[in-house]
Amino acid sequence: MNTASSATTAEAPQDIHQRLGMLTRQLHDSLNGLGLTDKVKSWAGEIPDAKSRLTYIARLTGEAAEKVLNSVDNAKFHHDHISAETRRIGALIVKDPVAAVAKGHVMNFITDVEEASKEIDKNLTDIMMAQDFHDLTGQVISKVVTLAANIESQLVQLLILTAPSEVPAKSQVLAAVAAETVTIVTEPILSGPVVSPEGNPDVVKGQSEVDDLLASLGF
Amino acid sequence: MANELKFLVVDDFSTMRRIVRNLLKESGFTDADEAEDGVVALQKLRNSKFDFVVSDINMPNKNGFELLKEMKADEKLKHIPVLMVTAEARKEDIVLAAQSGAAGYIVKPFTKATLEDKVNLILTKLGLK
Repeated sequence: MNTASSATTAEAPQDIHQRLGMLTRQLHDSLNGLGLTDKVKSWAGEIPDAKSRLTYIARLTGEAAEKVLNSVDNAKFHHDHISAETRRIGALIVKDPVAAVAKGHVMNFITDVEEASKEIDKNLTDIMMAQDFHDLTGQVISKVVTLAANIESQLVQLLILTAPSEVPAKSQVLAAVAAETVTIVTEPILSGPVVSPEGNPDVVKGQSEVDDLLASLGF
Repeated sequence: MANELKFLVVDDFSTMRRIVRNLLKESGFTDADEAEDGVVALQKLRNSKFDFVVSDINMPNKNGFELLKEMKADEKLKHIPVLMVTAEARKEDIVLAAQSGAAGYIVKPFTKATLEDKVNLILTKLGLK
């Protein structure tokens, strides 16, 4: 029994190696036949880019959530202060309206309300500005979806080409999938948000660099 | 006078259109309309009077560069200042926008102060403020 088992084990790696060799050859020939060799190289380059784009989305959405929560905390602090002061001044006015005015409580309260309103308004603007992540991440997501759709489309084509002839039914299924699959979408000429500007001399890293560039051009 | 100016905000993302309109309103520019791409923008520009355009670049149908080019080629629209507000951060895009006649360029994400400064700077240069 042991001898038979050893023989099987000894043959298996050779068999697997041979099969892998055949598959690799088949894949290589298929890719060449489809003219996909260059595309595969470009996918390999795009996948890390897709990873950095997804990281960018995670960072932007995280920062936006943080900004919104901080602004809400600040706004609530000012709102709570004004609510408490309103109750206190109300009680003072009920107790002795003349004294409440004469001692400056009412005037101080009005100043407090004015300052708190300004702060709350600033917090609301910050919350609104934090929503700009929707535009930026939307553009980046669209690029990742395009990449995924292109890879899916090419893989389905590859599967059809390499499907064994003895399983025509599978080929038909794949052909049906291919018909439904989005055809290759070319990247738009415009590049959208720069997800990692570090070390890229062709892009600006902020508004001050835009202003410098325009100033250098005489604008 | 500046507060009476009519703005057109062009962006394919409704969130961004709303943000820009609200920021303009906070800066005192209360009269603003919006368009979701260059095609709709051109229709609105040709059917109504506008004094200032704030436009994104990367949009479907007709992008910001195409909109700018068509505006500058149109005798009735070429005087309207166009401020580009975009995520496109490539230097060649900024140079192209300037050479195509954009009055200013803001890269996203931006602040309220940046938008206010650029709008006011353009209005001052044009003698509208």
